[in-house]
Amino acid sequence: MAKDVEEKTSSIKIQKKPLRLRIWNNRGFYLMFIPVFIFVLIMHYWPMLGVRYAFFSSKMVPGGGIKWTWVGAQHFINMFKEREFWMAFKNTLIISVVKLLLNTFVAVLISIFLNEMTSLVCKKFVQTVIYLPHFMSYAVVAAIFTLFLSPSSTGMINETLKDWGWIDKSIDFLHISSMWRPVFYIINLWKETGWGTVIFFATLSGISPELYEAAEIDGATRFQKMRYVTLPALSSTIIIVLILNLAKVLNIFEPVFVLYNNRVFDSSDVISTYVYRKTFMTAATDYGYSTAVGLFKSVVGCILMLGSNYASKKIRGRGII
Amino acid sequence: MKKRLVSILMSSVMVVGTLAACGGTEAGTTTQVEVTDDQGNTTTVEVKDTATGDVTEEGKYEVKDLHIVVDGTLTANVDNGQEAFIEQWEAAVSEKVGHEVKLTIDQLDHSDYAATVQRYLTTGTVGDGQFPDALIMSAGMFREYQTTGLLWDMAAAYDKAEFQARVTLPEVNLGIRTKDGKQYGFAPTYGNGCVSYVKASWFNQYVASDANTDGVKTIEDVDTYEKYYNMLKFFSNINGDNKTYGVIAAGFGKLDEAPFINYMPEFWQGAYPSFYQKDGVWVDGFQEQATIDALDRLAQAYADGLIDPDTEEASTKDAREKFFSNDQSTSEGVFTYWAGTWLRTLTDNMGKNDVDNELADERLLQLPPIKEITDTWGGYINREAPVWVITDDGDDNSLREQAIFDTLFETMLDGDKVQTLWTYGAEDVHWSTKAESFTTNPDDPEKKKDYEYADGVFHLKQSPNDPNAVWKKNHLDPVLVIAPLTNGFVDDDPLVTKGNQFFTAHCVDAPVAASSETLTAEQSGLKDLKTTLMNKVVTGEMSGADAVQSYIDEKGAIVDTILGELNAQ
Amino acid sequence: MAENIEIKQAPEREAPRKESPEKEAEVKAKAPRIHTIEKKRSKIKIFDVVNYIVFGLLTLIIIFPIWKVICDSFNAVGVYQFKLWPTQPTIGGYATILKTAKLFRPLLNSFITTICGTLLGLVMATLGGYVLNQYEMPGRTFLSYFLLVTMIFSGGMIPEYLVMKKLGLVNNMWILVFKHGMNVYNLVLMKNFFEGIPASLYEAAKLDGCSPMQIFYKIVLPLSKAALASIGLMFAVTVWNDYSTVQIYITNRSQVNFQYMLRVMVMDGDTPTTSYKVSQSTLYYSGIVCAILPFMLAYPFLQKYFVTGVNVGAVKE
Repeated sequence: MAKDVEEKTSSIKIQKKPLRLRIWNNRGFYLMFIPVFIFVLIMHYWPMLGVRYAFFSSKMVPGGGIKWTWVGAQHFINMFKEREFWMAFKNTLIISVVKLLLNTFVAVLISIFLNEMTSLVCKKFVQTVIYLPHFMSYAVVAAIFTLFLSPSSTGMINETLKDWGWIDKSIDFLHISSMWRPVFYIINLWKETGWGTVIFFATLSGISPELYEAAEIDGATRFQKMRYVTLPALSSTIIIVLILNLAKVLNIFEPVFVLYNNRVFDSSDVISTYVYRKTFMTAATDYGYSTAVGLFKSVVGCILMLGSNYASKKIRGRGII
Repeated sequence: MKKRLVSILMSSVMVVGTLAACGGTEAGTTTQVEVTDDQGNTTTVEVKDTATGDVTEEGKYEVKDLHIVVDGTLTANVDNGQEAFIEQWEAAVSEKVGHEVKLTIDQLDHSDYAATVQRYLTTGTVGDGQFPDALIMSAGMFREYQTTGLLWDMAAAYDKAEFQARVTLPEVNLGIRTKDGKQYGFAPTYGNGCVSYVKASWFNQYVASDANTDGVKTIEDVDTYEKYYNMLKFFSNINGDNKTYGVIAAGFGKLDEAPFINYMPEFWQGAYPSFYQKDGVWVDGFQEQATIDALDRLAQAYADGLIDPDTEEASTKDAREKFFSNDQSTSEGVFTYWAGTWLRTLTDNMGKNDVDNELADERLLQLPPIKEITDTWGGYINREAPVWVITDDGDDNSLREQAIFDTLFETMLDGDKVQTLWTYGAEDVHWSTKAESFTTNPDDPEKKKDYEYADGVFHLKQSPNDPNAVWKKNHLDPVLVIAPLTNGFVDDDPLVTKGNQFFTAHCVDAPVAASSETLTAEQSGLKDLKTTLMNKVVTGEMSGADAVQSYIDEKGAIVDTILGELNAQ
Repeated sequence: MAENIEIKQAPEREAPRKESPEKEAEVKAKAPRIHTIEKKRSKIKIFDVVNYIVFGLLTLIIIFPIWKVICDSFNAVGVYQFKLWPTQPTIGGYATILKTAKLFRPLLNSFITTICGTLLGLVMATLGGYVLNQYEMPGRTFLSYFLLVTMIFSGGMIPEYLVMKKLGLVNNMWILVFKHGMNVYNLVLMKNFFEGIPASLYEAAKLDGCSPMQIFYKIVLPLSKAALASIGLMFAVTVWNDYSTVQIYITNRSQVNFQYMLRVMVMDGDTPTTSYKVSQSTLYYSGIVCAILPFMLAYPFLQKYFVTGVNVGAVKE
């Protein structure tokens, strides 16, 4: 966006009028922006002031409210010593990155192969169906899969597998550390991959048919066309998707929150859920500490965002912000 | 580039400027006082204006708006005639105290109760419409909060309360007091505890089966762990398809709420996985051999398929729904749950789902404590009663708090109108003394039941949200209440009486819960860890000994500090 | 997008497909010259068959859980086996939900907040997008950065909670409306849409003496109906599906939305007492269906708009 700005402003430099006049001419626009400005200020900037609590310690006081005591960087020192924190940090990176790569990879596969489908009706139908789970909330998806995956005799999947003789004992899919992440990835694939293909289809529809015709004349097989025409066309989109999402990896909350449980904390607890538990699920908690963890997350997220912005500029000539 | 720099600079200046303005408004209703403590740290204390009531000219405080936070034990919830309850409460109490009182009830989800209460208490202020004036706390929660100074010491108010003359069970509230005579909570009822209920039909099938039943003929014969285990084993395969289970509860143990072992007591036996006093000295029961053995017993039973895996995550509601579900092919034979009224509720719910209709009120058997329990504890554990507390507003006088006490607690045990509200619910909604007749299950000849009452006879009506069930009770259990009703309203349900008698005959009081500053701060961490470890052991991920070892490795130092504090008290 | 696909597909469709095996063999025998091409064609066929089968399976995998949920919501008993039709059909589950205040109220809240949230979101996104599209406006860059910062940096859970508390939005369903009021990503999409409107239209309107506000609602908005629909849908999906905001900010049962109630119902087993003879799982599944129903119903008709929203972003990229 910033780049556009520069280009456009430089092009109109010649006819530049005095600043005061230009402001006056645009007064209508400023007026229109006022509601947005105030809204953002209150809803987004005001809470940012609260990051100062990261350097305070909180204590409940009679009559309600919090007493804040200055502690300096103490919370950060404690945080870096905390095993649970590092566990959550590690999990956040692993879970988000694997989920991102997996979802993108499968979405690309689906797009390429669906693109080869000759029947338009079928193609349309498949698209309609695979987009469907995206419109279900994580709460709903978690509810469905928790019910289906129950290890008790009310769990449909375990019971079916037992009926078919594939297993003799119920598997507790969501409560075993080693199983949790794979199950989580699969559920996320089910929910989001279909939707992930939308952007790739948009790119594919932009490929000129002549390219395929040319390839055909050169005697390219179906697979060769997919490999040498379709895939390269998608590559820049793939990179964009990866970069855009990389900036957001630390923000993962709801997908994990609705599916995790105390037995799989080692493999499932992410920073946001850790902050949530430290903030709201702990009696006599220190809000300063959870603010500090949140601040740390924000700062790292900021660095990631700027990093991917830089990468994006390098690769496609314009930033993501 | 320069332009952009200027922009960014400008934006930050503007934002900070505007924010400073916003920040200023933060102090709207509060006065900020800077306090410097001995270490030289500057602290900002926010002093609040209280606004739930008015101080009248004579220096008397009148509660105009009473905001209470309750859990599910107020059974007259929004779907069950809470509106009528509030209306009648307001009318009766306003008349009693001589001015208008408005009652707001905030009924929270059980699963998040503690966390939500904490959020209210820290982020709210007295009179902001959400900050509770009075609220219910479980015994464990209460012990955590009583060291924080957030609760009001009501010892004096309690002692001179009007209802004192009628109190028949004074021990409960005396037990709540701290060593120096402070009383931060008020228990209107005795604690109650859990009993193991066994489905009679399943049990009969067991007795009549070819399986080795150890000569068990009646439920009393199931008197050892071995016999109990054997019975569960039969239950887990009662239809020959291994889809049923022996027992379910809302957790293998309930390590976040005292008395911790009221679910699955047959497996926990003499263990107590928390701090308790042993011969006058505080010890951590979780580290004891008894706990390790109990965990291993649970793990064995889980591996043998006797414990429903849903137990791990089931809430109490989940567990009981599954127990009396209309699909008995995936149900359980035993369910450990609250004594007394719940015997009636569980039985009725089975009836509603057409389970064992021919047995009518004999659907459930109450299992007397097995030998391993009687040898150690002596019986089922009677938990420490949940309490009502009043929040302290932090000023020096007790005007507001005393007024809340008089408005809420004093009337709650007035023996008459208001106590009836708390006990049975709203008149002509939950109960009535007018002549009436009604029929439950009118369409089902097998379960159809007619009720007929003459004018002036106290009786419970149909449940507001289920015309096929008769209402049971509201918040106070008439059998457990510390000062009985004086208006003679009794609901003489023989099944409830039977349940209560059974429990009284087989119970012992729970150990006193611990309370110390470090414990308050570390409690939730300890609870989480213990629950995780318990679940891991029971589901076979680690052994009981390993679990206790990793508990000691992680929290050993903290536990020692807590024990030190407790024993120094 | 649909049109695009068709254009691209057209040449492929013209090519002759799927000849009968006999004819194939005949051709093969007659003309060894084109043997190689024929071979390729049979390969294509295998590929197509496999492709259709794989996508058939994929659609089944996606549909099966949804179907099972719908079918079990009409089943009076819990069925935990691989059965695809209700054994004891009933609508008791749905009747219970509609009759229970505890559940009906959240459903209503969900509708209210979704509608208001969508409107507020659209107002913010169109106003912001329109103003940011004014390249000759002094301070435009500042305003862009002003919005973009909120995408990168946030106060964190407790600071936000304390501010919402001060704004009176805690324990108040309107937080669902305000929380999603500003979505910078959607605002940028909106701006991209506006960029596509020919500048000559603006100029003409300006010459006619229209104020920016007049241009906005007389020219810009009528020309952006598709954009409004697709971005509005994005807001609607976000607000309707929001569960974590409720989990954090709302404890009062009269203010929660349906997603939250559903979660509580399934996770805590907090199902309503019902006078119908339905199992607990019937209630769970009926609840789930109610939670997804609005979008499932609207989706086939609005799919075009859902997809355009993402595509505008993609095109700009």
